[in-house]
Amino acid sequence: MKIAAQDVVKARKAHRPEAVILFTVANQLLAIAAEAVQEIRSTDSLGSALEIEQQEIAKVRHTIERGHRTYYVVNACAHFGLRIVRPTLVLMLRQIRAAILVDKIERMAEISGLHVLPRAFSGAERQWYRGLAYVDDQVIPVVNPLGFLTAEEFGRLDAMAEASRRDLERAVQI
Amino acid sequence: MSAASTKSYVLLRIGDRRFALPSAEVSELAPPVRLHQFPHNSPLVSGIIVRRGRLVPVYDVCPLLTGKNSPSHQFYLVARRHFGSASEPAAIPVNGDSELVTADAVQVTSPKYVSGMLMIGEESIEVLDLDSLVAPEPHENNRLDYARLNP
Repeated sequence: MKIAAQDVVKARKAHRPEAVILFTVANQLLAIAAEAVQEIRSTDSLGSALEIEQQEIAKVRHTIERGHRTYYVVNACAHFGLRIVRPTLVLMLRQIRAAILVDKIERMAEISGLHVLPRAFSGAERQWYRGLAYVDDQVIPVVNPLGFLTAEEFGRLDAMAEASRRDLERAVQI
Repeated sequence: MSAASTKSYVLLRIGDRRFALPSAEVSELAPPVRLHQFPHNSPLVSGIIVRRGRLVPVYDVCPLLTGKNSPSHQFYLVARRHFGSASEPAAIPVNGDSELVTADAVQVTSPKYVSGMLMIGEESIEVLDLDSLVAPEPHENNRLDYARLNP
């Protein structure tokens, strides 16, 4: 037998420490870069969220208008294929027009490196995660904010939201 | 079947059956460390263990090989999985009693994830081809082959 130290696949490490927010979705602990999150709000404060009628992208049921931009509200349970639990918080993302429904924020943490997702993981998780962090003896996936909605999904949602808006305007006129 | 080849093998127990892996592919037998799990949809992968600062994916092959659920409190045999010219560590849950043997393997071609057969005493032991075993392909035909060979 050989000693594992001969392994050639090494975890790729980032050199710069990175602040992350640790949050839970259906009791699963996940992390997201703090700089990827613009705002954290309670779901109670989302009274102005509009329901959109569409079945194609099941993880999106609502939109939020912020600064003349339409944010699509993504249910993280549905996104990750977990059992649906009632979310309490919404993470408004900075880079894309998406807001993510989550259970709760655990805490902030600083990670000194990001391990590459092993190639064994070959499914949608390659889009979901930037990599894996090792925090307090726990392996935690660091989500890729851009992975919550693809450009193609944004296109379809924008088209459906626009159609809903037109229908609403027409109904108001009548 | 074709000619026999003498090599060193690690005998391992998965569920109630014994299998073999070429020892050149095996890194270590790890104790029952914590299995870290998170959402994903890769077949067979049950999580990650941490060994010597490295993250090692764990493939739960017990249901595939034995038709039974994996027992809890397992050891992990860490080997290498190849992806073209690259490779990475890969762990499979086993129970602790592994041993190193030198034996002649007779090559077999079916099921796909079995590369040979060892005769140890009265027992015939399948030599696993880890890359084929954990490849994300349906193993339905292989299972049927196995059922036919081992009624």
